[in-house]
Amino acid sequence: MSAALTRVLLTVIAFLAIITLVFLLLRLAPGGPFDGERRLPPDIEANLRAAYHLNEPLPQQYLRYLSALARGDLGPSFRQKDFTVNELVARGLPVSLALGSGALVVALLLGLPLGLVAGMQPGTRLDRGLMGVAGLGIALPAIILGPVAVLVFAVKLDWLPAAGSDSAAHFVLPIVTLALPWVTAIARVLRTSTAETLSLPHIRTAYGKGLPTRRIVLSHVLPLALVPVIAFLGPATAGLLTGSVVVEQVFELPGIGRYFVQAALNRDYTLVMGVTIVYASLLLICNLLADLIVLWLDPRARARVKTRVTTPT
Amino acid sequence: MLRRFLALILIACAGFSSAIADTLRLGNPGEPETLDPHRYNLRLEETILTDLFLGLTTFDAAGQTVPGAAERWETSADGLRWTFHLRPGLKWSDGTPLTAEDFVYAFRRLLDPRTAASLAYFMYPLANAEAVNAGRLPATALGAVARDAQTLVLTLEKPYPYLPERLLYPTAFPVPSHVIEKVGDDWVKPEHWVSNGAFTLVDWQPQAAVRLKINPHFAATGLEPASVSGVDYLPIASEQNAWNRYRAGEVDAISAFPSSELDAARKEFTRDLRLSPLLSSMYLVFNTRRPPFNDVRVREAVALAIDQKVLVGPVQRAENRASTSFVPALVSEYEPQSMPGAELARDARLERARALLAAAGHDAAQPLTLTLRGFSGSETKRTLLAIAGFLDSIGVEARLQQSELKVHFADLRRGDFDVALAGWFGENNPEHYLSLWASTTGDVNYGAFADPEFDARMSAAAEEADLQRRNALLADAEAVGIANFPVVPLYSVTVRRLVNPRLDGWIDNARDVHPTRFLRLR
Repeated sequence: MSAALTRVLLTVIAFLAIITLVFLLLRLAPGGPFDGERRLPPDIEANLRAAYHLNEPLPQQYLRYLSALARGDLGPSFRQKDFTVNELVARGLPVSLALGSGALVVALLLGLPLGLVAGMQPGTRLDRGLMGVAGLGIALPAIILGPVAVLVFAVKLDWLPAAGSDSAAHFVLPIVTLALPWVTAIARVLRTSTAETLSLPHIRTAYGKGLPTRRIVLSHVLPLALVPVIAFLGPATAGLLTGSVVVEQVFELPGIGRYFVQAALNRDYTLVMGVTIVYASLLLICNLLADLIVLWLDPRARARVKTRVTTPT
Repeated sequence: MLRRFLALILIACAGFSSAIADTLRLGNPGEPETLDPHRYNLRLEETILTDLFLGLTTFDAAGQTVPGAAERWETSADGLRWTFHLRPGLKWSDGTPLTAEDFVYAFRRLLDPRTAASLAYFMYPLANAEAVNAGRLPATALGAVARDAQTLVLTLEKPYPYLPERLLYPTAFPVPSHVIEKVGDDWVKPEHWVSNGAFTLVDWQPQAAVRLKINPHFAATGLEPASVSGVDYLPIASEQNAWNRYRAGEVDAISAFPSSELDAARKEFTRDLRLSPLLSSMYLVFNTRRPPFNDVRVREAVALAIDQKVLVGPVQRAENRASTSFVPALVSEYEPQSMPGAELARDARLERARALLAAAGHDAAQPLTLTLRGFSGSETKRTLLAIAGFLDSIGVEARLQQSELKVHFADLRRGDFDVALAGWFGENNPEHYLSLWASTTGDVNYGAFADPEFDARMSAAAEEADLQRRNALLADAEAVGIANFPVVPLYSVTVRRLVNPRLDGWIDNARDVHPTRFLRLR
């Protein structure tokens, strides 16, 4: 159990380090939140800085931020003046979650059959063919795939909307774009573990006893081969939820990834901090859960996952 | 598990209602940061706020200044006292009567330091406004008084004939005191929203849409009410996305598309394409704090080397208009003053430039080197490369440096540059542009240009109440200023829009304003 406790402690430390680092980096970046297309006389800038406590010394600002955070208050947005960061996250997070979980479902629905079929006949032409096609998913990043998908399916074919979030149809292209690299990743994990499982003595025995393939796969191969996939779902879920930053830009979905980019460009200190905290929490919690599950399932499985799994970035 | 994922997606989608048939969908080049007219800062917010509110003056369909909430006004002989007579029967969108007191409340709120209005200085022409904004005088000292419910008297610090134009901006819009006093800063939320324009706010989904619907009480003003029942403003920050979404038929109008698609738009969207020159001035500014740019000969040489016509023509290919004056040619009732040497042929300009450089001590053995700064973007890069090429022809070596927009302007304000690309947009008023060269202007006089004679002429103009005479004085000032080359005028911007040909009532204009109440769907 002490291994689990260490993981939890490390997660908390990482979380605090991230907050501090982002707080400092933001204030080191050139350009301030009130630099805009129009001029600001000094009196007016002083009014603005006072309104957002930017006239206080840095340590005081930091403590003010931490104490508000402890109360669950992410503060006012510096640029989105009519919303608090909490309100913005509350509106953006469901969109990002819908996008991320939709992509996870698609990645599983496509990745699992691909990996299983390829892993059943490792080294054959079928295996190489399937893995080659799947490899395209990693070779095409969202920043390329997204605009191409828009050109083909929205502008030329007019099947789906180009951007926006008015209906469920608006989520189809973004979900597929986001899911593709993870289809490949999941397929690869399952293929490797399936191939490995097939060579285990008890599976060969099962074949030797003449059990039907279908039954061997369902009751003997899959339960074992899926363990690394489950372990992989931790980082994969976090990656899908946070990986939507690019996709949300390309398809103009109002998720927190879009806020994140706009806020960084606008030096919206509090909004960047808020979204970072949400992202960091998701990442850390998903990874922690995956670690804990694997520890609970099988300590040896953990080493296997660490060495074999490659995640797309 | 799968069911929960699907449920999540459905929940996320249920929040977005589908569009109504005669609701316009207009692309706006970004997300508004606020819909509080006193806290706004961006042109894209002005667009929405102009639909939501009605100021003392307002735009007609062609972007001209016409009476708004005030049906007429008188000016005292010295130009200091303006008496505005409100239209009878004005109402807020909740039916509450709107009076001159609402305007007084609004001006005081704008200039209250606690409002932290970044554009509060727009109303500094009002008597005591600057002192109130700095917290040195109480709000009651402000030069805005309601003589009765229908009459508003504005007193100015100095004559300001451009006041009717200044009142077009959201900083001069009234705000509903009866709501603000009840719910505070939350008054901008759709559920509390009350305004006096042709539309009211229904919904605001950040990064997705701002939805407006018609204000039934607007018709009582006697002004032309909207003919569409609503308008959705969609934030489309990327020009490429705007282009894609327009082609996919998802929006009725977009505010810009990539200049590289101009030829495609000419072929594919002959009836939709709208190219309209904007009141704007793009220019190169010299940092006169840094040698050798404190030497007018060096500044003139650089200015003469640049060929504005080649820049807007073969280089940019975006229909921008070459300009050799700082005040844009589109400003009305004003004679812009070209920089000296603009009339010369290309060869004569280059020859004179080389002679000036030599006189300033720069030749092939000791070439002038400089850093040329601009904001990011491929269009800007082409512009900077062309300018570096022009400078190369007189033996000046320019290194290019592009930075993100915010960093660029922050550095300019701190005076951290040699020569930089900058721009100034907006008003139909020469003073708006020329004041950038005044030594008292502060950090947006990026190059810290200071010339006593120019300052003296600007001060003289500031005392003149008559618009024609004032503009003539300002033209004198521009001539004196540009002879010292604080900047190199380059061009004014042309807006590239695509507008659904079914949309009637759209009139191209130099301000690029198109209030929705004048638009009709055929």
